[in-house]
Amino acid sequence: MATERELSDFLKSVEKRAFKRSVYHVRNEESALDIVQESMLKLAEHYGDKPAAELPMLFQRILSNCTLDWFRRQKTKNALFSNMGDFESDADDAEFDLLETLRTQDDSQQTESAESTVDRIQTMKAIEIEIEALPARQREAFLMRYWEELDVTETAAAMGCSEGSVKTHCSRAVQALSKALKGKGIRL
Amino acid sequence: MTISHSYQNQLAQDRFGLKLTARLSDACDDLPYEVTERLRAARVRAVGQRKLAARQVAVGAVVSGATVALHSGDEGFNLWSAIASAIPLLALVIGLLGINVVLSEERANELAEIDSALLTDTLPPSAYTDPGFAQFLKMSRESARP
Repeated sequence: MATERELSDFLKSVEKRAFKRSVYHVRNEESALDIVQESMLKLAEHYGDKPAAELPMLFQRILSNCTLDWFRRQKTKNALFSNMGDFESDADDAEFDLLETLRTQDDSQQTESAESTVDRIQTMKAIEIEIEALPARQREAFLMRYWEELDVTETAAAMGCSEGSVKTHCSRAVQALSKALKGKGIRL
Repeated sequence: MTISHSYQNQLAQDRFGLKLTARLSDACDDLPYEVTERLRAARVRAVGQRKLAARQVAVGAVVSGATVALHSGDEGFNLWSAIASAIPLLALVIGLLGINVVLSEERANELAEIDSALLTDTLPPSAYTDPGFAQFLKMSRESARP
């Protein structure tokens, strides 16, 4: 059973990322705060007696459900289902080589240190815009997998889908982000 | 060759994802004070709710334990709890009956001892001068006669 301190520390470690993730989903800071608060309360009330190791998975699941509930409440189901086109593969995807993109990025990485603070902020904003532009499921899978650092199995469990779907969502998200950022001349 | 390329592509994908999300983590550090404060307040409230929930569970357990012998018609009623709550009452009734039997026996024994002492004792001469006793002897003789 997680102690009060462990629960507090866990929430502190995830609250900012949870907020940003919710903002990317709902695109409204006020609503994102409400979603995070609701998720925290649900975790503490219903799962506060669970071991500390189980909290990350539970919280991700609750956060996802709360976000979905928000969409339901806002009657914006169309916004969710409009992303079904994501499952259709683009013709130019086959020709896209992620390694090539990364090699290009790596070659020019030495110039990164010369970037000014303003440039970094602008880059960050551009990344956030591209993250927001991703289809909901791709964004969710990508952020859980790489930001929350859950493995494929955990991500699948949190999203309530198969591991294959998680891999597909992540792969497509990476390709979309990579192409979009490359198009904007942004290097990581 | 295909497997190797696929594996390398996966590694590259992972690297890209981690590098990109590292940038997102930087963005988290620049959150406005108002947002961080509201997140902190939400966290404190959530931890407080956990304490409240835990306390409610504990109080519920104590109350249900204390009233198990009194409650018999609520939703948690079952045969075993009814039997368990009837045991002390049954023991009390059996105890009272036992005490009553013992006391009655003691009193009967005392009366028997007094009677036997009276009957075995020799009569004092003054007893024959008592008109009541004379009448008693007379009636005894008449009743003993066939």
